[in-house]
Amino acid sequence: MSRWRQSVVEIQTRKRQVNECERAQATLSKVTACFQQMATSLGSNMDGNFLREELEETRTVAHKICSGLHRRLLSLLIEMEQGQEDKEQVERLWVIFLSSLENFQQDLKKIKVLQEIFPLTQRKDRQALINAGYAGGTSEVAARAAMVQTPWLSIEETASPDLKNHIVEIDVLLEEMFQRVNVPLWSVEPTQQAWLEGVSTQDGGQEEDESLEDIMEVEVVSQNNTSGCCNHHNCKVGCLLCLLS
Amino acid sequence: MTIRNVRDHGQRYRPRMACLKKVENVVLEMQDPKTGVKSQTQRLVITTIPHAITGEDIVAWIANRFKTDAAEARAMGTMMVAFGYIYPLQDHKRLILKPDTSLYRFQTPYFWPAQQWLVEDTDYAIYLAKRNIRKKGMLELYEQEQYNNLYKWMNHKWDFIVMQAKEQYRAGKERKKPDRVVFDCQERAYWVVHRPPPGTVSAMDYGHDRMVDPNMEEKKTPDYYRRIIMFIQQCIMRPRVKSSVSIGALIKYTTTYKEHDPFLHTCLPSSPWITDDVTYWTLNMPNVETPTKMRVERWTFSFGELLMDPRGRADFRLFLKKEFSGENLAFWEACEDLKWGAAETMKEKAQQIYKTFLARGAPRWINIDGKTMDITVKGLAHPHRYVLDAAQTHIYMLMKKDSYGRYLKSPVFKETQKKAVAPESHRFTETQLEQNAKRRRPSLSPIILRQQEEEQKAKLAASGPVDITQVMSKLERKQKN
Repeated sequence: MSRWRQSVVEIQTRKRQVNECERAQATLSKVTACFQQMATSLGSNMDGNFLREELEETRTVAHKICSGLHRRLLSLLIEMEQGQEDKEQVERLWVIFLSSLENFQQDLKKIKVLQEIFPLTQRKDRQALINAGYAGGTSEVAARAAMVQTPWLSIEETASPDLKNHIVEIDVLLEEMFQRVNVPLWSVEPTQQAWLEGVSTQDGGQEEDESLEDIMEVEVVSQNNTSGCCNHHNCKVGCLLCLLS
Repeated sequence: MTIRNVRDHGQRYRPRMACLKKVENVVLEMQDPKTGVKSQTQRLVITTIPHAITGEDIVAWIANRFKTDAAEARAMGTMMVAFGYIYPLQDHKRLILKPDTSLYRFQTPYFWPAQQWLVEDTDYAIYLAKRNIRKKGMLELYEQEQYNNLYKWMNHKWDFIVMQAKEQYRAGKERKKPDRVVFDCQERAYWVVHRPPPGTVSAMDYGHDRMVDPNMEEKKTPDYYRRIIMFIQQCIMRPRVKSSVSIGALIKYTTTYKEHDPFLHTCLPSSPWITDDVTYWTLNMPNVETPTKMRVERWTFSFGELLMDPRGRADFRLFLKKEFSGENLAFWEACEDLKWGAAETMKEKAQQIYKTFLARGAPRWINIDGKTMDITVKGLAHPHRYVLDAAQTHIYMLMKKDSYGRYLKSPVFKETQKKAVAPESHRFTETQLEQNAKRRRPSLSPIILRQQEEEQKAKLAASGPVDITQVMSKLERKQKN
C-alpha cells in the first residue's frame, strides 16, 4: 500500500518538475526574444553604455535560467525510463531547449562582433554609429525581460560569465547534451500545427498592426504626386488603397 | 612571378565575401555628421522617422568620395543595396539604387550580412511565423511555399519556432510606434536580401564555400613552411613560354572570338540570363537541325571547334560520307569512346576497333604510317585507355590538314552556311520582361539530354557504316553490267 502511495508521490513530483521546466522554457523564450530586440539597436544611433548594460543584465538572467533548466531537464531525462507518459513531453522540452540555446548562442556571437566593431570607448566612436532611424530606446523591452519569474532565479546563485566565456560555455553545454542523453531529435512531434499561429486571436491589438504595413505604403503618396501612388509603373491609382508593390 | 602568386597556392582564391568588410568601412564613413550623407526626415501619416536619405545624395557622396563618375557611383550604390547595407523605403523588393529622390535608409548593424556565418533557416522560419501572426495567414505565394517547406523539414523544432515567434512579436510591441515601423522595415529588408523573392537579384550568391577562412592569418608552423617550399619548387620547375608568344596567342584568340562572347558582345536574340527568354539556348541545342550563323562561323575558326560541336561533327560526317572517307572520323570517335568510356568494356572495345579499322583487310581500314601502326599493334597486346593515342593523333592531323580544308569548300558546308539562321535581336518592354521572369522554368534535365544523345548514337550505328568492301563490290558489279 505504501509502495503505491510512494509511486503516486513520485509521479506528482515529476509532473510538478516537468511543469516547472515548461514554464522556465517559456520565460527563456521571452528573455531571449527581448535580448534580440535590444540587440538590434547595437551600433545604431540609439547605442550607448545604457543599452549595453541592459543587454548584460538580460544576458545574466538568461544564463541563470539556462543553467537551472539544463540541470533539471538532464536529471529528469536520465532518471526516466522508456515508456513513461511524460517522457514524450520531456523529450519535446529537451529539443526546444536545445534549439533555444543554439539560437541564443547565435545572437551572442553577433553582439560580440558588433561590440568589437563599435567600441564606444572614445568620443569619436559615437560619430560612426549608424543612423538607422531609431528615435526611442529599448527600456520597455528590457523591463519586460527583467520581470520574469522562475522558481530558482532568486534561490540559486550561479556565477555569470562574461560574453566570450558564455559563448564557449554554451558550446560545451550543447556538446554535453548531445553526448549524455540519447534523444533522437527527429522523433519529436510538435504540438503546433502549421499556420495555426496566424489564426489564433490571443494577441490582442492585432487590428492596429495591419496599419503598420499601410503606413509604410501611405507615405509614398506625399512624395510622388505625378505618376500615381507608388513607383510601380502600372499604378495609375492615385489613392491610398493601392496594393501594388 | 611575385611572392603573392606563390601564396595563392594555385587555389584560384575566390574572395567570396571579403568585400563585406570594405563596404562596412564605407558605410561607417557615410555616418559622419559633417562629411557623411545628408539625411532628412521621412514623413508618414501618424509620425515622422528620421535618417532617410535620397538616392541622388548617396550617388553624389560616393562619386565625391571615390572621385568617380555618376554611373560608377550608381553601380557601387546598387551593390551596397544588394548586400543589404542600405535598404529602399519604396519598392522594397527591388534592390537597386535609383539616383533620384527615392528614399533609402541605413540598415542597423545587427542585420548586416556577415562573412563568418550563414543566415540560418531557423531564423527565417521564426520570421515567417511572426509574419503569419501579423498578417493572419495572408503571406505572399513564395513565402507560403517557404513556410510549408520549413514546416516539413524543421518539424521537430516547430514548437520552438512558434514560441519564439510569439515572444519576439510581443517583445516588439513593447517599443514605441515609430521604432516598431523602423524595425519591421529593417527585418523585411533583411529577408529580401537573404531570401530573395522571385525576380529579385540579391548579392548573396557567392558560389562554393571555402574550407578555410580567407581573412584569417595562417600560423607559421613547420608544416606551413614545408608546404611553401614544395610550392616554390613546383613553381620553379614549370615550363616557360616567352611572353611575346603567349601574348600573341592571347590577342589572336580574343580578336577571333571577340564577337562570339556573350559577355563582350550582344548575344542574339537575347541573353537568357538577362531577359529570361530561352530562345538562344533552344536555337543552340547540341543536335539542332539548322544551326545559327554564329555557330557555323565558329566551325571555320579551327578544326577542334568543328569536331567539338555535335552539330558541326554531324555536318563533317555527312561530308565525309559523300567522299567515302568516313572511316577516319569513325576511328577517331571510337578512340574517344575508348578513352572516356567505362573500364569494364575497354578490352572488348579495343579489340573491336582493331578488327574494324586496323587489321589487314579490315572493313573500314584507315591509312596510318608503318611506325604508328607498329606501336599501336604492339600496345594492343596489353590494351589500356590510351593505347590508340598515337594512331588517333595521326588521324586527327590527317583530317585537319586534308579533309577539313576540303570540307570548308564543299557544297555540304556551303549549304549549311546558307540555311543557317541569324535571329533578330529581341526588344522586350518592362512588362514583357516581368512576364518572362514569371514564366521561368527549369531546362531539360541532363538525364533526358543524355538519353537523346544515346538515341542519336544508336541511330547512327543502325544506319550502318559505309563499308569499303561493299562499295568496291558494288562498283565491280556495276562494271560487270
